[in-house]
Amino acid sequence: MTSCPCTPTSSFDKCCGPFIVDGLVAPTPETVVRSRYSAFVMRSLDYIDQTHAPEICDDFNRAEAERIAEDVDWHGLEIVGTTSRGDGVEVEYIVRIRQSNRIVAKSSVSRFRQEDGRWLLVSSRAGQKVAAQRFLTAGRNDPCTCNSGKKFKKCCGIAS
Amino acid sequence: MSHSISAKHFNCNACGKCCYGQLPLTIEDAFKNVERFPICFIWTPLHPTNKDYRAAKGYGVVIPGANQTEITVLIVPTSFIPSTLPCPSLQDNNLCGIHEDKPLRCKTMPFYPYKDERFQADLLSPRKGWECDVSNEAPIVYDEGKIIDRLAFDNEGAQLRLDVSILQVYADYMLKYTHGLAGKLSQNSTSRNPQQMITSLSSFLTATRNQNSSDIASKQLPVLDSFVKKTECEPQLKDFHRYYASWYREMEFLSKRKSSLNNYTSEARSISQQL
Repeated sequence: MTSCPCTPTSSFDKCCGPFIVDGLVAPTPETVVRSRYSAFVMRSLDYIDQTHAPEICDDFNRAEAERIAEDVDWHGLEIVGTTSRGDGVEVEYIVRIRQSNRIVAKSSVSRFRQEDGRWLLVSSRAGQKVAAQRFLTAGRNDPCTCNSGKKFKKCCGIAS
Repeated sequence: MSHSISAKHFNCNACGKCCYGQLPLTIEDAFKNVERFPICFIWTPLHPTNKDYRAAKGYGVVIPGANQTEITVLIVPTSFIPSTLPCPSLQDNNLCGIHEDKPLRCKTMPFYPYKDERFQADLLSPRKGWECDVSNEAPIVYDEGKIIDRLAFDNEGAQLRLDVSILQVYADYMLKYTHGLAGKLSQNSTSRNPQQMITSLSSFLTATRNQNSSDIASKQLPVLDSFVKKTECEPQLKDFHRYYASWYREMEFLSKRKSSLNNYTSEARSISQQL
């Protein structure tokens, strides 16, 4: 089973795969955030392109996104919450990436609008500040920082 | 001929020493030389108490700062070369390989429109190791706070003013999509030693909807490749090296987009099917 980047305990084929690979419509803004994250991790950037609202499509710096998707050591996604605002929906989430020996968490709020049944990204802004976690100070038997549910030593700590 | 005691003499001896390091360009010169120079954009907030603030302000973009203030920021298209490396067009005989068609910045040397015309005298003192002739034998180029032959100086200044409207579009785009950029710039603007911020050619091409991106990228690619190699084994140039390597990959992507968008899409589809 290939585990899904957004939820390591689920199978990619049953989680984000259907949206990214088979082109099914993601039913909620939260599933778009999840599948966009997974698409970045799997470097399927066409999917990122397809989930942009028309007015921001041409603003997408695909060349830079391709490079970043490849360079970043992705370390998990956490959905904080979803709020309806006006004619759109806002999803707050935290993306964790590994930078040398620590996990850096970046919180964002993305706004979505529904068009022909598809939820499309309209804008994003920075969310609340999240403190960075020291990666190497996680105890070997502690739950892993990537939220996989496994022990650190069996998951991201396997190499150390 | 009578000249005041403030008259400054200057003659270029073609020593080539000023052809090293970063070179600020106009947008036109940046694109004209995209197959010669590694291009990026350097952002410098202007400090209002700086003596050159008034001169440089006309070339800057305006962005919102804290508490409803406005900050003026220079966004300068730059040939991004470490100060220890020569311009790729500097020949072995120390002469310029593109002399007739060289960038406005080079034509205006030793003057510099980002500084007030009254303060240009400082620029006429040769830096350490430069061989400029500033003796009385050399022609008078500057007197009583005025540049004598001002054609190049005025041309460059005029072009820089014309560039502002496109640079403002670029600034607005970057502010919209780079979280924390406004804060960082505003922090820098009140600092005595503002830090430079560097942004990529790919972001400028995207922001300005450039239709020739793949062409431009194909021309920039070999330049970046050569600078990746030039900086490879130099520990003190590792930041430059990292930039060149990143931009190389972005330009590589853009250059391939040319073949045909459809080809690219089908290729991407087959990749995602393998996942």
